[in-house]
Amino acid sequence: MNHCTSCQKALEGSWLVCADCGAVQSDSTIDFFQALGHERRFGIDTAALEREFHRLSRRLHPDRFARASAEEQQNSLAATALLNDAWRTLRDPVSRLEYLLKLEGHAVGEEHAGKGKSAERQPPSDLLEEVFELNVQLEELRMSQKMGEAADGAVVKDLAATGVRFESMLQAVDDALAAESAKWDTGAAEARTEAATRMIQLLDRRRYLQNLVRDVHETLGAAA
Amino acid sequence: MAYSDKVVDHYNNPRNVGTLDKSSEEVGTGLVGAPECGDVMRLQIRVNPETQVIEEAKFKTFGCGSAIASSSLATEWVKGKTIAEAMEIKNTDIVKELALPPVKIHCSVLAEDAIRAAIGDWKKKNGVAETVAVAAN
Ligand code: FES
Ligand SMILES: [Zn+2]
Repeated sequence: MNHCTSCQKALEGSWLVCADCGAVQSDSTIDFFQALGHERRFGIDTAALEREFHRLSRRLHPDRFARASAEEQQNSLAATALLNDAWRTLRDPVSRLEYLLKLEGHAVGEEHAGKGKSAERQPPSDLLEEVFELNVQLEELRMSQKMGEAADGAVVKDLAATGVRFESMLQAVDDALAAESAKWDTGAAEARTEAATRMIQLLDRRRYLQNLVRDVHETLGAAA
Repeated sequence: MAYSDKVVDHYNNPRNVGTLDKSSEEVGTGLVGAPECGDVMRLQIRVNPETQVIEEAKFKTFGCGSAIASSSLATEWVKGKTIAEAMEIKNTDIVKELALPPVKIHCSVLAEDAIRAAIGDWKKKNGVAETVAVAAN
C-alpha cells in the first residue's frame, strides 16, 4: 500500500497519480505493474490495460501541467516516461515474462552472463545441433544469393519446411510458458518457484528458436 | 555499440574459420550456445595423441561480432598449447584482450564453454579421465 505524497490518502489504481486529489507522485521506485495499477501477475487483459494506459497518459500529460509549478512539471514528465516504459514492457508477453521474473528476483537472460556452469547453461545437444546445421544452410543460401545465383528450389523448399517446424517448436515453447505462468499466477510460494525455474529455461530455449525463425524469414524473403 | 580495434580486426579477418573431421579420433568438437542471446558456436581442436598438444583449431560462429572475435582469439590461443594448458584459458582473459564491455561478457563465456566442450569431447573419445593430470613434457 502506498500513500499520496500530497493528501496522504491510500493510492488506488496507478501509483503514479492520486485518484483523490490528482497529485502526480514523484516516486521512481514504482514498478511497472504499480504504474499501471495492475496486480503483479503474468496473465493480463491486454485490451483493458491498454485503455488504462491511454487514460493515464492523458491524465499525466505534460501539456496539462504547463502552468503548474516546476516541480509538478518535472513529476509529470517523469511519470509519463515511466508509464510509457511500463506499457511497452507489459504489453508484450515475452518482455512481460522477463520483467516479472526479474522483479521477483530471478536472473533472466543477460543477467546470468558469466555465472552458471557451462553444463547447466546449455540446451539439449540435439537442439544445438539442429540450430547449428540450419545456420550453416542459411549461410550457404545467403552466399549464393550474394553471388547472384538463382536459389536452388529444393534448398529453399527444404528451408521453408524447416522454418515451419521451428515455428511450431516456438509455438510449443510459448504454450508451455503460458501454462507455467498460469501456475505462477494461481500458485503458492513453492509452486511459484518451480514455475519460475521452468519459465527461465523455456525463455533460454526460446531465444535460439526465435533467432532461427527470424533468420529463415529474412533469408527466404530475400530469395523470393 | 562501438567495438574495440581488436574485435574489429578479428571480425574482419577471423583466424581459423572452418571445420575439422568430426569423426577423427584426434579431433574434439565443442558445440555450445549462449542462452542470453541464442547465438551458437562450434570450436574444434586436433590433438597430437603423443604430446597432447593442440596442433590445429577451427571455429564457426553464428553470432555477434564479439562472439566471432572471442572464438577467433580462442583458436589462436589454444593452438600449440597442451590440453592441460588450454583448460586454463578463462573467459576473463578474452574479455581483457578484446576489451569487451560488460554486456558482451557472455560472448567470451561462450568461447570458454566451447574450448572446454571441445576438450571434453576429445577426452571422452580418447578415454582420458577428467581428473588425470597431464604430465609436463
Ligand atoms: S551477443 Fe550473445 S554471443 Fe555476443
Ligand atoms: Zn492525493
